[in-house]
Amino acid sequence: MTDDVEAPASADTGLRHLAPGDVGLVQPHDFVHPFPFTFKNGQTLPGFTLRYETYGVLNATRDNAVLICHALSGDHHCAGWHSPGDRKPGWWNNLIGPGKAVDTRRFFVICPNVLGGCQGSTGPSSIDPLTGRPYGLAFPFVTIRDMVQAQKLLLDHLGIAELHSVLGGSMGGMTATLFAIEFPHLVRRVIAMATTARESAQAIAFNEVGRQSIMHDPAWNRGDYPRDGGPRVGLAIARMMAHITYVSDASMDRKFGRKKKETAAADAYTFDAQFEVEGYLLHQAQSFINRFDANTYLYITRALDQYDLAQAYGSLERAFSGVQAEFLVVGFASDWLFPPEQNRAIALALLRAGKRASYAELATDLGHDSFLLESEDLYGLVRGFLEREKVAFDFAI
Amino acid sequence: MRIIGEWVEPHSRVLDLGCGRGELLDYLTQAKEISGVGVDMDFARIAACVRRGVTAYQGDMTAFLRAFPERHFDRVICSRTVHELNRPAEVILEALRAGRALTVGFVNHGYWKNRFHAVFSGRKPLNAVYTTVWHESRPANPLTIADFEDFCRIKEIRVTRRVHLHGDWKTPCHLAPNLLAGYALYDLAK
Repeated sequence: MTDDVEAPASADTGLRHLAPGDVGLVQPHDFVHPFPFTFKNGQTLPGFTLRYETYGVLNATRDNAVLICHALSGDHHCAGWHSPGDRKPGWWNNLIGPGKAVDTRRFFVICPNVLGGCQGSTGPSSIDPLTGRPYGLAFPFVTIRDMVQAQKLLLDHLGIAELHSVLGGSMGGMTATLFAIEFPHLVRRVIAMATTARESAQAIAFNEVGRQSIMHDPAWNRGDYPRDGGPRVGLAIARMMAHITYVSDASMDRKFGRKKKETAAADAYTFDAQFEVEGYLLHQAQSFINRFDANTYLYITRALDQYDLAQAYGSLERAFSGVQAEFLVVGFASDWLFPPEQNRAIALALLRAGKRASYAELATDLGHDSFLLESEDLYGLVRGFLEREKVAFDFAI
Repeated sequence: MRIIGEWVEPHSRVLDLGCGRGELLDYLTQAKEISGVGVDMDFARIAACVRRGVTAYQGDMTAFLRAFPERHFDRVICSRTVHELNRPAEVILEALRAGRALTVGFVNHGYWKNRFHAVFSGRKPLNAVYTTVWHESRPANPLTIADFEDFCRIKEIRVTRRVHLHGDWKTPCHLAPNLLAGYALYDLAK
């Protein structure tokens, strides 16, 4: 996920959180699970924390909860503002809010930071109570399934036994899908966007280049680095490369083309940044390394690579055999990281398994990150799926 | 829609090729409690299906059909779509593999008014059925009842039911359908 979601330039800074349709000022909460938690691979943590945000109100029948699942570099802050001076709102602010496609007047929205993350949830940069130092590589190998299991404990804590829907893009689409598989009685609807049932060799390859970049930075030190240090160069390069995979040739060309920076070096024979696209990537990397932990990047990309529903359950159809939720899978024509075919495969396998599933495809040219797009078509689709009343349930066919 | 509704078994699994905005599947879901899915190429139509609670898949029909095992669907419906298909034989044969039965509905281009129009005006038909002038029309591959009967014979497709309707698309037409019927409905099996 890129960091491109900026507040509208015309909005009056300091009052943007008061705009109609905005959830306004929000604050994160911490859920502390004080009991041992066993990961899929058998490793354990004595307990964990999940940082999360909620918007809207849980209704009396406790059936209006919507779970939002974030992507690799996302977090729990998916809508609203932490302070009036924030540079930008939560990452899915265009979709979530009063009167928006995910209407917080109607739904109780929950968004946790994943287990293994670095934005407040327990992850490799958290302090290991046994040593008093960051876990580093002593942190258990986290899988998407572990993230789902941890989030289920958060839902239990919140007293939520039914999810109206689960939404997510990219890795969030994987999490949302796995939620419906692991907890079929909990989930009524799933919207999975720009996602896959397993990464292609190309996607794994990109992740591996990012990991190698981090691990070859001497400051990585086998994952043992202070909280304010670490492999900043390695992480920056990993991010620069990954960023390219989130956009598209057409969108980069439109945004930058071959425009050059207005500096003296622009036409010199040097290796300083000359093209705007170079400066942009460096800026993106800089903002990323200030908020993201390199070990979390290693752990979560590994979790992405290992996610393979067909392998885990025998086949995709078998993975979906117990699903009770209705699915809406959304692909984006220009997504070359998790291309439309991989999204179609999820919908087709659900249908083969006799489940209710729809597939829609948006013809945007913005690449993988199109799921963050400001698009009335996308909003209408999401709203239409979430808000219609009748849902056939227990339609065993 | 009413006749197709009569042919569809209650609680069956139905696929609608060229489902448009999902009207037929919505009707069948309410009238026959089917579990249905539609296929269409157009995003806005898929979004309309989703809004009304009809499951729908945006994409190519043949590719969709190939993703399903033999006889997965109890019935496949192809209503007023067959004349716009790139490879009609391929789609029909795939539909007869993935479905136990296939219902095809089409406008009979051999209808006498079309023949008169062609002979006397020398122009592409323009009426309540053919609503657009040539240069505003989608590519179409019009067919007649005689063409379709030939096709079924050549491909050894069993016609289990056929209904021909007059120009009002309501009254049954028993005499010289290729000349007198405006609309044709076929129920096929392989």
